[in-house]
Amino acid sequence: MHNQELERIADLLQSQGYITDPSVTMAVYLSMQLQKPLLIEGPAGVGKTEIAKVMARALDTDLIRLQCYEGLDATHALYEWNYQRQLLHLKMVEAQSTGTTQDLEEEIFGEKFLMKRPLLEAITYPKKPVLLIDEVDRADEEFESFLLEVLSDWQITIPEVGTIKATHIPQVIVTGNRIRELSEALRRRCLYLWIDYPDYEKELAIVRGKVPQINEQLAEQICRFMQELRKLRLEKTPGIAETIDWARALSILHFDHLPKDIVEQTLGVVLKDWKDTRTAQLSLSELYEKTGVVSKFDNL
Amino acid sequence: MINRRTDLTSNVVDFCRFLRSHDFRIGSEEEATALRAMSLVTPDDRSRFALALQVALTHNAQQVQQFPELFDQYWKELEKAVDSKTKDSRKKNGKQNGTQQPSFDALKSWLNGQKNNEETETASHSITETLSQKDFSLVPADQLAELVRIIQEVSQALARKLNRRREKSHSAQEFDLKNTLRRNLRRGGELVELVYKRPRRNRVRLVVLADVSKSMDLYSTFLIQFLYAFQSVFRRIETFVFSTQLHHVTADLKQQSFQEALRELSEHTAGWSGGTRIGPSLWTFANDYGRLLNRETLVIILSDGWDTGDPNVLAEAMQRIQQKSCKVIWLNPLAGNPTYQPRTAAMQAVLPYVDVFASAHNIESLKALGKWL
Repeated sequence: MHNQELERIADLLQSQGYITDPSVTMAVYLSMQLQKPLLIEGPAGVGKTEIAKVMARALDTDLIRLQCYEGLDATHALYEWNYQRQLLHLKMVEAQSTGTTQDLEEEIFGEKFLMKRPLLEAITYPKKPVLLIDEVDRADEEFESFLLEVLSDWQITIPEVGTIKATHIPQVIVTGNRIRELSEALRRRCLYLWIDYPDYEKELAIVRGKVPQINEQLAEQICRFMQELRKLRLEKTPGIAETIDWARALSILHFDHLPKDIVEQTLGVVLKDWKDTRTAQLSLSELYEKTGVVSKFDNL
Repeated sequence: MINRRTDLTSNVVDFCRFLRSHDFRIGSEEEATALRAMSLVTPDDRSRFALALQVALTHNAQQVQQFPELFDQYWKELEKAVDSKTKDSRKKNGKQNGTQQPSFDALKSWLNGQKNNEETETASHSITETLSQKDFSLVPADQLAELVRIIQEVSQALARKLNRRREKSHSAQEFDLKNTLRRNLRRGGELVELVYKRPRRNRVRLVVLADVSKSMDLYSTFLIQFLYAFQSVFRRIETFVFSTQLHHVTADLKQQSFQEALRELSEHTAGWSGGTRIGPSLWTFANDYGRLLNRETLVIILSDGWDTGDPNVLAEAMQRIQQKSCKVIWLNPLAGNPTYQPRTAAMQAVLPYVDVFASAHNIESLKALGKWL
């Protein structure tokens, strides 16, 4: 019975075009069942953010995203009063000169003038949303502890209005890139999932899923090439997004295999750092050998 | 069925204890999560069972890596134990309570304050802390990356320290009444646009002078790392190294990778692990680079003060440096030893002109630097 539920989630993810593996499915399943935030870490470009998007689609709900950055503070995450609008409203009311001061005060601190930022939005959302707190390690530690408070109480206090309790507790996904070590407290509040670069089979499945019109041989060669490429010591190891870009590009150009000269010409799709490009170029022949890439002259 | 469930429960609790002994931080909350997770998966499927526990009990990538092995290890042990126990109980016939006793005892002792465990937990609270306590000279090479990261964090924290003055800000932190009124004068005094302020970031200028002579050999690799981390965090920093001569290495340190920075450094700097001439080196600095110093400049000197030269030269150089700068901090790796006394002639000459004399033998002491910045 339980396992059916797991399978159902795997299917849900699959049906949204996300190639999953047992650990991802399990993490998503537990996070949904236990109502706990899921902390996802892993190198850039392995589809951490994608999980949240897919989850929202699979649950047929909306995704609310809080993108963290350095200097992000509570006002940007919670709410702000629309000051200019309040001011204009006061002016207009003044012109008509009706109502008591108290009424007026209640009016300008009403819903209409409240600008909801992601966290408040998530809490007051009419149905259970997926809340994505992206790259939480970019924000500073103060914000992290503030976040902890919201994530455990699920209520936000606005002095002028009062305490707002969550109508539905959102499904929370927190992602991190390991820029900064996250606090132990946050880690302990969450379930944890580490996503690494995909292995060959998974990557191939992803490419097939995302670029359906791709030639089979080309897809295999690209994935093998990427697998080998990641073994090099690079500054910025390419992720799945790069593989898909590359596969899409070559497939649009109607290639049915990976020719040497094209690899050299299009390496920029995959490697975005000149030093990495140099490193890769130096070991290209080795890469060709391992991945079975041939130049058109080799066949002669 | 229920029987089986409780058995599983106690096993999971036991497994948590086992993980704790392997430096996993697992509190009662995680334990509860694990138990709740257990009720959601069928225990027959070993790999799913393991995955569910992994999701509930791990907190970082390193633990994820360790988990499968620890899991196998524990459940294999358990199977062995259960096997022998079932044999035992068959012999003794019906001593079932005996099977449950040990884990129950263990659980009880855990609930009634597991002092021992508590201690090990705080001691291994995180890698950061274990590393922090270590003397630099004892750190093996495989922890280098970790160390660099910690140092980077420390210096980032230092850089983040705030000033008491205020500057304009775009986020609504503190309201700036004066500038708001001024800004809105042209709108007839109607406060349409609001201006905010925030604490100004500290704009200290740093000059770091590091001793890389033979006597500093044990520490210098790490101090260079510290310099590198500093250089990548602070924008207004100049770095020098000296042994017998002074070298300006700011440009060399401004490399993308640490390895490259080291290579540049070693190519351009002669006298690594050479003799020490602190006095003349600092004198050169005070004379040739005096323009780098002003009242906002913090000078950090990293040296053990083993100098054979004329202490008077050193004293004069130090006097000049102190006069021109905001503060002089002398970090001596030897000062970490409680019995250390700055008795060398050089140290004696230097002390009157130093605002802060501190140790720099481990990260704890480097963290303390924040107090002075």
